[in-house]
Amino acid sequence: MAMIGKWEFPDELAYTAEHVWVRVEGDTATIGLSSFGLELSGQIVFVEAPRVGRAVTAGEPFMSMESGKWVGRVKSPVAGTIAAANEELEWESATVNAEPYGKGWLAKITLAGPADLSALMKPGTPAFEAHIAAERQKYGK
Amino acid sequence: MRVFDLGRVPWLDSQLLYHAMPRVGVDGLVILAPAEPYVCIGRHQDPAQEIDLEACRQRGLPVFRREVGGGAVYLDGNQVFFQLVLHRDAPAAVGDKEAFYRRLLEPVAAAYGDLGVPARYRPLNDVVTADGRKISGTGVAEIGGFVVLVGNLIEDFDYDTLVRVLRVPDEKFRDKVHRSMRENLTTLRRETGRSFRWEEMTGAMVRRFADVLGPLEPAPLPPEVRSEAARLAPVLTGDDWFARAGRRTSAEREVRISGDTLVTQRVHKAPGGLVRAAVETKESRIVRVSLSGDFFCYPGDGLAGLEDALAGVPLGGLETALAAYFAGGRLAVPGVGIPDWLAALGAG
Repeated sequence: MAMIGKWEFPDELAYTAEHVWVRVEGDTATIGLSSFGLELSGQIVFVEAPRVGRAVTAGEPFMSMESGKWVGRVKSPVAGTIAAANEELEWESATVNAEPYGKGWLAKITLAGPADLSALMKPGTPAFEAHIAAERQKYGK
Repeated sequence: MRVFDLGRVPWLDSQLLYHAMPRVGVDGLVILAPAEPYVCIGRHQDPAQEIDLEACRQRGLPVFRREVGGGAVYLDGNQVFFQLVLHRDAPAAVGDKEAFYRRLLEPVAAAYGDLGVPARYRPLNDVVTADGRKISGTGVAEIGGFVVLVGNLIEDFDYDTLVRVLRVPDEKFRDKVHRSMRENLTTLRRETGRSFRWEEMTGAMVRRFADVLGPLEPAPLPPEVRSEAARLAPVLTGDDWFARAGRRTSAEREVRISGDTLVTQRVHKAPGGLVRAAVETKESRIVRVSLSGDFFCYPGDGLAGLEDALAGVPLGGLETALAAYFAGGRLAVPGVGIPDWLAALGAG
């Protein structure tokens, strides 16, 4: 587990620049928001689970969340089809903040092709450290 | 940056235009007011849960679901809307949510000050008077590569109509919401006793936004925005968009009056019967509570004393307050224990 400041970044996950984490197992990618992403989001009051079967495109928004009357969009890190959505979050959105790497997962995506995570970052790498440092400066964290 | 002062527009345009601008890459500050009243619900609300749609129909009030967050609102021509469409990388859009709201709502508070009502920004997203009453509604949506902040200067507000069109479990709850709204939401006219000209309100707003955004050049709305709005109209007024389910809550009904004030009704099934509690909280402290249900209590009118005892109690101190009250022997409710009261009060 990598720590930067007070934020945890599990080593086995890959991260987008917009603080979405990805875990690939076989042909399925599970995604969620990193603890740093949730620091920026604040307390989530609603998660709109995506529809199972929906096609998603890498880099395109596919679901929305709300905190502080602010509706934000979550971009998919991979291309594929929604295999499962964490519908429990529609009742208990606080789980996203409480357990971002566990019960607070957002969606599982069946990959459209071989996993290409080359655009994602891994904890402990210079690119990841530099990105989080820049984001902390940008957001005053 | 350009400012598009559109005056009064058809009610649907007062929503469609700011949804259209980011989709065609147009940033700017829009100022307008709706020519007709309507009801607007937040992106993640369930219309059937929030709004009495039949009451709206009887009054000829359209209901619209916006992409922006927040709750159900009643909108009319006594409110001047600001709709700020910023590219995500614009200097005014950087920072976290609080920095964003502070930067862009302090000018709104300053505009109220210019109009004779001292106001301030209160985190996370409220503009309040010196005595803490909300005086502007706000919300944000990320649309495409843009961030859209919407809000209003409220000259006058029709409390009665809003409370009439909200879905409520019973009339007592409606009265509670009405009372809380009048206590916690105010207007320019209530604060000053006078009316305001359009130019007076918009002039103050544009001057104050310019302090943050830089010079704001008056301009006509680009035609591509109107074209995109026309394309969006059937989508954003269609059933697929409007009727989708929204935020779920364990409460029977919940109405947020402002950032720190909430009116909630819960029903809890205790061994001794159903317990219904309508609670108004402010800053996580009970303002007032109404208790009812089909349980037996001794004495029969003993609930009023408990309601009085809970007023002013912080939610975190409810268990202690309840234990102290029941230990005093002034009230007995067989089959309804402290965990049941806590559950009904939303603190379980």
